[in-house]
Amino acid sequence: MTRRDTDAGSGPGSSRAALVATYVVAAIAGCVLGLRGLAPPFLRARESSTPLARVGFALRQQEIPEATASDWGDLARDVERVRSTWDPRDRDVFDLVVAVRGLATGGVADWSRAEQLCRDLKWPRCDQPALAALRRSSRP
Amino acid sequence: MSSGGPVRALLKWILGPLAVAFVFCGLGQGLAVRRDQVYAATARLPPAERAGLESAPALAVANATWAFGSVDAVKKMARIELDRLPESEGPRRARVYLRFGIVDTNPDGQAALFGQAWAADPKMGNQGLKDAAVREVHARFVAPGNVLPLFFLGGHPPISGPAAGPGPR
Repeated sequence: MTRRDTDAGSGPGSSRAALVATYVVAAIAGCVLGLRGLAPPFLRARESSTPLARVGFALRQQEIPEATASDWGDLARDVERVRSTWDPRDRDVFDLVVAVRGLATGGVADWSRAEQLCRDLKWPRCDQPALAALRRSSRP
Repeated sequence: MSSGGPVRALLKWILGPLAVAFVFCGLGQGLAVRRDQVYAATARLPPAERAGLESAPALAVANATWAFGSVDAVKKMARIELDRLPESEGPRRARVYLRFGIVDTNPDGQAALFGQAWAADPKMGNQGLKDAAVREVHARFVAPGNVLPLFFLGGHPPISGPAAGPGPR
């Protein structure tokens, strides 16, 4: 059997095109996985960044002025990952901190959600000045 | 067909694309690290620094609860923190006991909690404990717990600690 026989019906040109397409798809898939932080562990061996560390970093900053919309989107996903592993007894307070610090809303405090969460927690003060002070004092 | 046919096909159609995918995955990841400020700041940190960042969210939640939380919330937070913090984190555990003690209304319970704070971080000493209490009281915006307990103002009998516990000054 010759190569020409194998490719009969499709031709060597289309076989080559299929091969090129396979490589292109592999390259695109690899790039997308890398950009989304889904690289396999052996490629991430030198990276120490974790969702918890990134949320911790964001909480320590007064603000992150040069963060892009994409950065905030990534951070919102990190917040969700951290939240899912958070102690359920304390998750509502975590949500309140996230809301006043705007970690899931592009760095802009979500005051209405924060006020609602605060009232659900039955904390003594949930007014705007108190929540603004909470935003400042929650910086670790 | 030669015996090298299947091997060659495997290389060409499976291993080759996989290798390309891994290379581009690494490139994509490198690009993501450089373009994302938060990611870039936290990548390649020594373990100690990463541990510090990873404890920041819990600390933020504890601080928020202390600043505006109800007494129940502060006590709940204290229990969670004491469960979370290992014995080796003496100063942090001491801070939790101190906060718990400040909102406790029972003078004896309060003294016992301050004693535990002192035991968790013996380096603090009496004056250190009082200074820490002053800082904590200033960081709390709602009652109770936003004024220094009488324990630190004198009048309470000395309490026993591991060697010589804290007492009023």
